[in-house]
Amino acid sequence: MLFKPRSIAVFFRILVTALALTATGLIVLFFLFLVKESVPVFQAEGARFLTGGDWWVGESYGAGPMIFGSAVVTLLALAMVLPFALAGAVVASEFLSPRLRWAMKSLMELFAGVPGIIYGLLGVGVLAPAVKDFFGLIDGNTLLTAALLLGLMVFPTILTLADDALHAVPGKYRDQAQGLGLSRLETVRAVVLPQARAGLLGAVFLGLGRAMGETIAVMLVIGGRDQVPSPWYNLFAPGQSIPSKLGREAAEAVGAGLHWNALLGLGLVLFLMVLGVTVAGQLFLNKGRAT
Amino acid sequence: MKRGLVEKAAMAVLGIMAGMGVLVLVLILAEVFLRGGGALDAGFFLEESRDFGAAGGVRYQITGTLLLMVGAAALGLPLALAGALFQTEYLKSPGLKRGLRLLIYSLNGVPTILFGLLGYLFFGIYLGAGVSWLTGVLILAIMILPTIQVSVQEAIEALPENYREAGGALGLSRWQEIRSIVLPHSFFGIVTGTLLGLARAAGETAAILFTATAFSGARFPASFGDPVPTLQTHILVLAQEAVNPRAIEAAWGAGCVLLILVFSLIAASLFFRSRLSMEFDR
Amino acid sequence: MRFFGFILVVLLGQAAGAWAAPPAAKRLLVVGSTTVLPVVTLAAEAFSLRSGGEVSITVNPGGSGVGVNSVGTGRASIGMVSREIAPEEGRRFAKARLKVHVIGHDRVACVVSSAVYKAGVKALSREEIQAIYLGTIRNWKDVGGPDREILVVDKERHRGTRHEFMKYVFGDATARAPAARLVTGSNNEEQAKIAASDAAIGMLSMGWINEDVAGVGLREGGEVFFPESAHYPIVRRLSLVTAGEPEGLAREFIDFLLGPEGQRIVKKLGYQPAVRAPEVR
Repeated sequence: MLFKPRSIAVFFRILVTALALTATGLIVLFFLFLVKESVPVFQAEGARFLTGGDWWVGESYGAGPMIFGSAVVTLLALAMVLPFALAGAVVASEFLSPRLRWAMKSLMELFAGVPGIIYGLLGVGVLAPAVKDFFGLIDGNTLLTAALLLGLMVFPTILTLADDALHAVPGKYRDQAQGLGLSRLETVRAVVLPQARAGLLGAVFLGLGRAMGETIAVMLVIGGRDQVPSPWYNLFAPGQSIPSKLGREAAEAVGAGLHWNALLGLGLVLFLMVLGVTVAGQLFLNKGRAT
Repeated sequence: MKRGLVEKAAMAVLGIMAGMGVLVLVLILAEVFLRGGGALDAGFFLEESRDFGAAGGVRYQITGTLLLMVGAAALGLPLALAGALFQTEYLKSPGLKRGLRLLIYSLNGVPTILFGLLGYLFFGIYLGAGVSWLTGVLILAIMILPTIQVSVQEAIEALPENYREAGGALGLSRWQEIRSIVLPHSFFGIVTGTLLGLARAAGETAAILFTATAFSGARFPASFGDPVPTLQTHILVLAQEAVNPRAIEAAWGAGCVLLILVFSLIAASLFFRSRLSMEFDR
Repeated sequence: MRFFGFILVVLLGQAAGAWAAPPAAKRLLVVGSTTVLPVVTLAAEAFSLRSGGEVSITVNPGGSGVGVNSVGTGRASIGMVSREIAPEEGRRFAKARLKVHVIGHDRVACVVSSAVYKAGVKALSREEIQAIYLGTIRNWKDVGGPDREILVVDKERHRGTRHEFMKYVFGDATARAPAARLVTGSNNEEQAKIAASDAAIGMLSMGWINEDVAGVGLREGGEVFFPESAHYPIVRRLSLVTAGEPEGLAREFIDFLLGPEGQRIVKKLGYQPAVRAPEVR
C-alpha cells in the first residue's frame, strides 16, 4: 500500500494549504509591487504628485485633476442614484410579496452583472449625444455624462445590498411598531431604517467602491482632458478620472521610466481610495448582519 | 383620514421612484438589443471580422472571450476551493480567519484596471508571458478568485452542524470529512460561484485590454503565447473609433452576444443558488 | 508551509514562462501608429497569402508611443511610427538599438467639421490655429466661419500626428493646448469625434479626410497650401522600428513593404512612397 488513507489526508492538507497560500501570496505580492513601483514618482514629485494640476509626460506629474475627476464623478453618481435605489429597496423589502421580491432581486442581480463595456457602448451611442442635445452643449463627453452612466451602473448593486440590509431587520420590530399603531410606512421610517443603518451604509460604500474603479465606461464618455474645469463645479466640462487615465495611457508607458511609475502611483492612490471605501462598506455590512 | 392620504401619497412617490429606476435601466439595456438585434444572423456568429469590423462577423471574438473566461475559471476554481477549505476546515485561529476574509473581500473591490497593470507586469514581463491569452487567463483567474471563493465559503459555512457531527461520530479524518460530506453538500455553492466567476470574466475589458488581446490579425491561438480577439475589446475599439455605420451596428451586435452570454451565466447561477437553499431547507 | 507556498509560486511561474515562449519563426507582432496600421494590415494580408498562410502577422493599434515602447521593451517585433523617435525615447531604449525603416510619407492635415468648411472656413493661418488651440479665438466667426463655439479636439501627447502638427503650429512637438475640450487617441477616434460635431477642429493624417471631415488649407504669407498640393508644409515619414537589424521573418516583411507590391499599398491608401520621386502633377 503506497497510498494509505493517512498519507492522502496529509497530502491533501498540504495541497490545500499550498494553493491557498499561493493565492494569498500573489495578492500580497501584487500590493507590494504597486507600492514599490510607485515610489520613484513620489520621490520625484513629492506631495505635488497629489496636489499638482499639471500632468505632462516628461515634465511634470500632477494627479490633481484625476483625483478631482474621480471624486466628483463617483459622488455625483451616488447622489443621483441613491434616492431611486433606496426607494427601490424599501419597496422590494417592505411592500412586495416574496415572489415579486424574488423576481425583482433576480432582475437586479442580472443587471448588476452587465459588463462595463456595454454601458460604455450605451454611453457613446445614446447618453453622450442625449446630454449634448438636451443641454445644448458643443460636446456630450462631460463629467456629468460619466456620472450619469456610473449611476445607472451601480443602481442594481446598491438596491440589492440595501434590500438585504432592510430585510435583515427582524420582523418582530415591525410587529411591535405596528402594534403601537404606526402605519407600514411610519414603521419603515421610525424602526426599520434606523435599525438597518449600518447595512445601508455598507451598501452605499460598496456601490461607491464599484463606481470608483470603473474604467471602460467612464473612459469612453468623460472627455479625457487632464484638467480641473473652471469654475470647478462646471459639470458640463470634460475631465478625467484615475481609471480612465490608466486605461488610456498604460499601453504607452508599460514598464519604462518615470511615466510608468507615475501611472502606478495613480494606481496606488486609486487602490487606497477604493480599499478604504470597500473595507468600510464590508465592515458596515457585517455589523448590519450581526444585529 | 388625512393621515391615510399622506401615507398613500408617500407610497405612490416611493413606488414611482423605484419603478422609474428599474424602468430606465430596462429601457436602456433594451436599447442594446434594439440596435444590435439586426446584426445577429448566422454569418455574424460564423464569419471572421473583416474591414475594420464593418464586414463579416465576430466568430473569433466569441472563441476568444470563451477561451479567456473558461481558462480563468479552470485556474481560479481550484485556488478558490483551496482557499475556502483552508479557511473553513484547516485554519484554527479566528484572528487569521478574519484577516484572510477581509483580504478576500477587499480583493473583490480592487479596480480591474489595476489587475491589468500589475498582472501584466508580473506575468507578462517578469515571467515573460507577454501579451498573450495566457497572461489574460492568469490575470482574470486572480480577479474572479474572490467571487468564487466567497460563494463556496458561504455554502460550506451554511452546512448544518449535525452533518459534521455525523462525520465526527464515524471517526472520519478531516480529509474524509471534506470528501464525503463538505464537498458533496456544497456542490451547488461551488457551481453558483463558478458561474458568477465566469460571468465576471466574460464581461471584463480593462484587465485584458493591453495584456491579452489583439484587434486584427489574431484568430484562434496556436499557442499560449498568442493574443486573442475578444467581444469586449472588439466593442471597445468599434465604439471608440468606428465611423462606418455597418461597423457601429456590428459593435451593438457584439454587445448583444456578450449580454446574452453574461445573462445566461448569471441566470444559471441564480437557478443553482435556489437549489442550494432548497438543499438546506429539506 | 509558507516556504512550500513560495516554492510553488516560483514553479508555477517558471512553467507559465516556458509554455508562453512562442515558436517565433512564423509569427510577427506589429504594434503602434494608427496612421501606419492600414498599410501594414493590408500588407500583412498580402504577405501571408503569398506565403500560403504559413505565417501569421498580428497587427495591433496603440499609437506611435506604444509602438516604440513595445519594441524597446521587447514586447513586439516591429513597431509602427508616424513621427521621428523622440530623443527621450532614444535614451530610454538605448539598449534596444532602435532602427528605423521608412516605408512611406504622409501629410498631416488641419481638419474641421464639414459644416464649418461649407460655411466658409477653407483655410487658416498658423497664427489662427495657434490662437484656437490656446483659447484666444473661441468662435468660428472670428476666422470667417459661422457664429458657433469651436470644439477644440486634441490628441494624446505621444501620438505621431500630434507631434508633427504641433511642430508646425507651435514649433514644439510637445506644445500644450490649453483650449482642448476633447483628447482623443487614434486617427479613427479623432475622425469620429470631428465627424459627429458641426463645430470641431482637429488634426489628422491625410488618409482620414472624407466627406464629413474636411482638410483646410494652410495660409502662409499670400499663399494657401491645401493638403493635396505638392508643397504642403506638414510632411512626415511613416516608419517601422525594430530593435537592431531585423532578421528572418521581420526582415522579409519589411523588404516586402519596401518592394513594389508594398509600395503599391502605400500609394493606394493615399500616402506617398518611401522614396519620394520629384513631385510632378
